Amino acid sequence: MKLESRKEEKKLANRTYELMYIAPPETSDEEIGKLNESIETVIVEGGGAIVKTEVIGRKALAYPIRKKNEGVYVLFEIAGSGQEIAELERRLRVNELVMRFITVRVDEDRKVADKALEKREKRSARKGPGVAAPIEQ
Amino acid sequence: MDQRKEEIVESTGPEVDTNIDQGFDKMPRRFQRRRPRQVVPDYVDWKDVDFLKRFIPERGKIMPRRISGVSAKDQRRIAKAIKRARTMALLPFVAD
Repeated sequence: MKLESRKEEKKLANRTYELMYIAPPETSDEEIGKLNESIETVIVEGGGAIVKTEVIGRKALAYPIRKKNEGVYVLFEIAGSGQEIAELERRLRVNELVMRFITVRVDEDRKVADKALEKREKRSARKGPGVAAPIEQ
Repeated sequence: MDQRKEEIVESTGPEVDTNIDQGFDKMPRRFQRRRPRQVVPDYVDWKDVDFLKRFIPERGKIMPRRISGVSAKDQRRIAKAIKRARTMALLPFVAD
């Protein structure tokens, strides 16, 4: 019983992903908007939710992609199970407007970071006054 | 016998010394080693190009730990972040 529930928990785990893609520099704002909408529908249909959308805009590329030296950067933050990310990746791979994309799972690393911060704060709260005294002398 | 030994020592001695001197003139590597520890945030963001650039010398390679002086854990996270940034053309694979 316990194991099964744990497994299910893992399956339904609330994960957070970051998605970033680069569109060609000549892409119009409309096209970007349309593409973003289609991404949102894919995510919502798959049971996820979009936390944040940020069109970073035109930026110089560190190296040419498809013979272009610039690109339009767009960043998403997506909450979901991971299923919809797989579907989204499949679609982005065939989309002509997407020169390059990356999806990164960030929830686990952020959790680790939060824990580390918490630990440090606790320690400084405990040791803080003790350490501060000798320094003053 | 004793005289010969002394000669050998004398002849090899200066040579070695000059080599070391030249080495220091060309690249004073020893002085750069193990800089004071860098402050690495708990979450190394692959989008934070300004931070990652600190670990990328001119050539575009990832700075080895022995030079940057970061912990092994931090080095792994930094390396991963740099590689992600590279795939999104935020950082170069090779710079010239």
